[in-house]
Amino acid sequence: MPILIADSDAVVRRFVGALLANNGYRVHEAADGDAALRAAAELRPRLVLLDVVLPGKDGFEVINVLKSDPVTRDLPLMVLSVRDREEDVVKALGLGAEDYMIKPFSTRELLARIRKILNRGR
Amino acid sequence: MRAIMIQIVTVVGALLAGLTLAIVINKARREMSEAIDRRRRALLEPAVFEYLGAASSKPLSGYLPKRLSRRDRRLVEEILLAAARIVKGDTRDRITAALEGHGSVQGAIRSLRSRRRFKRADSAEDLGLMRSREAVEPLVALMNDPEPEVRIRAARALGIIRGTTSIRPLVRALADPSRWSAIRVAEILINVGAEAVDELLAAYETLPRHARISALDVLGRIRSLRAIGLMKRCLEDPDPDLRARAAHGLGLIGDSGTAPDLIKALADREWPVRAMAAKALGRIGNPAAIPSLREAMKDRQWWVRANSGEALRGLGQAGREALIDIPFARHMAVSQLEEGRIIEQSVSDLTSADPERRAAAIRFIDRVTASARVDERTRQAAEATQESVRRALGDVLKTPGPGDRGRP
Repeated sequence: MPILIADSDAVVRRFVGALLANNGYRVHEAADGDAALRAAAELRPRLVLLDVVLPGKDGFEVINVLKSDPVTRDLPLMVLSVRDREEDVVKALGLGAEDYMIKPFSTRELLARIRKILNRGR
Repeated sequence: MRAIMIQIVTVVGALLAGLTLAIVINKARREMSEAIDRRRRALLEPAVFEYLGAASSKPLSGYLPKRLSRRDRRLVEEILLAAARIVKGDTRDRITAALEGHGSVQGAIRSLRSRRRFKRADSAEDLGLMRSREAVEPLVALMNDPEPEVRIRAARALGIIRGTTSIRPLVRALADPSRWSAIRVAEILINVGAEAVDELLAAYETLPRHARISALDVLGRIRSLRAIGLMKRCLEDPDPDLRARAAHGLGLIGDSGTAPDLIKALADREWPVRAMAAKALGRIGNPAAIPSLREAMKDRQWWVRANSGEALRGLGQAGREALIDIPFARHMAVSQLEEGRIIEQSVSDLTSADPERRAAAIRFIDRVTASARVDERTRQAAEATQESVRRALGDVLKTPGPGDRGRP
């Protein structure tokens, strides 16, 4: 099962994708909220790594939809966003995201957090 | 005549055809160039990203193809700069090392001497992203550029690179209002954060008055405990603007140990200092300030009373109770109780299942009514509906007290 990366910025998708692929993870990319929802339902990824700023359905709506669907409710979600306001972090965690990281991010920290979430799910 | 017309039409037609052809060729050339860029980028990007994600000391050149064209070199630089915007930590340091090794830093430094101001400004911005210490000196020199936009981009770049040698010229720039927007430089220093504190403290005494005001503002917004000593000294400064700014800064820092100094400042001869001291006391939340803030509700200046009322409202139950008992500035006190929804909350607590909350609400309402000496009627209202209680208590508190006469 892959890790789904949903981000409107192609550089972020490709960079994080390469980082995860180089660390042994399979990766699938989505450029907007609707594509992320479709991919999450079809692929049932191990983790959804998403930005809150997405075209179409934004990250909060994506979390909401995924958490309210019995099929995708248990998918772990992690937010990676440039939005650093406390209310955004609290909102995402309140909606059911496992973790929230702010861009610019440390690659080592991102990998550590992803590993922790994936280990928790085992 | 006809021949001339034919000639004109032919020339115009040829010109139009030539122009169309030039546009088509140019567009095709651009599209072809973009297609080559995409293809080369797809080849180079994974290699650059592999380098960035690796832990080895192998330089970027070890991951890239042996021979790089000019196009490839430009693309590698673009990829590195794009990645520089999204990462920090070790990966960020690897980007700087790669850009230095790649010659991008030296190239951008050369471009700082360009005659075109946009090129100088863009190169300064790129050097900020590259974060190379090699760029500090040329950027410091660029702070004297005749173009304001170039100077600001150089300042921003120095703020990003940080380090003592970068910050010192920024602190000096606070002192030069004719060439700099002090607000923009202050913002850059605030973004630098704790690293700017020592330079600001060291330079403070050498700065002119207007720069001292900015420096105090920056130190307050950075919230460094190391600035407390300077701020406390500034509360004694002969300049009231500096005293007011210092009081404001101490509030932003929020160390409750500074309450005695701010309480003293509540008695300052200048009202802006008193107002800032009251606001700061509300921010630091030390209950020892309650009696002095209560006293400050008598102040002749509206701002001092408003800030004191707001501070009391934020100082827990004791502060709120102090607002009830105040026999002066009652409008101010009641507006604080209303803004904080304290009356509504107490009324709502009258029906709470928690006996302690209910008892606390009753005690609060008793004090409100007692202070207005119309307890029986309000108590009756309290037994009726909540809305009527709220209104009744509001009316009670709005009744002018003896100390309110003659005050706005």
